[in-house]
Amino acid sequence: MTYFLLKMSATLCLKLQRNQGWLPLIQSVRHGSKAVTRHKKPLHFLKQKLIAVTRYIPPARTIPPGVYTSEKKHVQEDNEFILLLKKKLEEVFEECKMIGVVQTNPCGVDDMLMLRHRLGKHDIKIKFFPNQVMLSFLSNSVYSNMAPLFIGPTVLFVSKEPKVKEMLSALRVSPQMTLLGACIDNTLLSAQGVVRYSKLPSLTVVQGELVSGLTMLTSRTAFMLQHHPAHLSALLQQYIKQQSPDGGAEATPKGEEAS
Amino acid sequence: MAATSKSTVLLKAVKKITIQFCPFESNVRSTREFLALVGSAKARSTNMNCEVISVVKHDKSEPVIDITYVDGERLVMKGERLTCREMLSAFQSRCKDKDPQSKK
Repeated sequence: MTYFLLKMSATLCLKLQRNQGWLPLIQSVRHGSKAVTRHKKPLHFLKQKLIAVTRYIPPARTIPPGVYTSEKKHVQEDNEFILLLKKKLEEVFEECKMIGVVQTNPCGVDDMLMLRHRLGKHDIKIKFFPNQVMLSFLSNSVYSNMAPLFIGPTVLFVSKEPKVKEMLSALRVSPQMTLLGACIDNTLLSAQGVVRYSKLPSLTVVQGELVSGLTMLTSRTAFMLQHHPAHLSALLQQYIKQQSPDGGAEATPKGEEAS
Repeated sequence: MAATSKSTVLLKAVKKITIQFCPFESNVRSTREFLALVGSAKARSTNMNCEVISVVKHDKSEPVIDITYVDGERLVMKGERLTCREMLSAFQSRCKDKDPQSKK
């Protein structure tokens, strides 16, 4: 403590005395080291031997280190950006009836623009989401069976109306896009399923066909039930006609003969 | 994901590439990556006559890549247990063998 104070005072005095040309009172002298200390000084051979002999060797672990610690599940909190993307995905899945999954090989900007234009005419939008976000969203939702589709460069074609024919025609024109599958009206379809869906007639036509097919049987039964009494009533009417205007029928041919 | 030893895929000696796979299977990753590499704009620009056709099936069949060269040779690769790199190296080595005269 006193030494420190002395030194302090000495340095303070130094500042005062240096001005007057006095020699410094305390000079620090390096002891045991040469001038150049940038490289490690080579150890003496005996010291080297001693260190090698007395080196610390930790005891061998019998138990692997991760066994007794409770493994914390790798739960990464999502970024806000990822949350935003997930919200957008949710909206997309709720709004759009048709969601097509297409593998796109990296193509030029022009082709992409042309495709967007062609699809935009039919109100089909092209959306891109990163695969990780997509997979994490799908695993939490009902659509988990779509997960194996999302490997590699993939893009979504979404639209509110299921306009499958236009989508297929646009895809046929651009060679670098491959349709992998689609989710139409909450049903997962493969590529062939999509083609078959496009060949279906419209809903009204199908409903009409269904109704006609169902009523055909019932109308046939109704006809068969009513057939006999209808025939009988027709015959009776014919008989009545023959009976009642019999006098009139005889009169008219006589009148015709007379005229 | 698949780092290529050569950055460009040369398709000069290739007439047609047909890639068929079933995307709902789990063994399709390498085939899809191969398709992405071969079907890219760069690769197509090396040979505009070469067709790259992809067929998407749904019958649990194994993924198959069928390459037809200009001189009629066919290379068939079953991508179920191959990595993308192996397939690419096999493909490129054959392309190189067929193609030295055009390069030199």
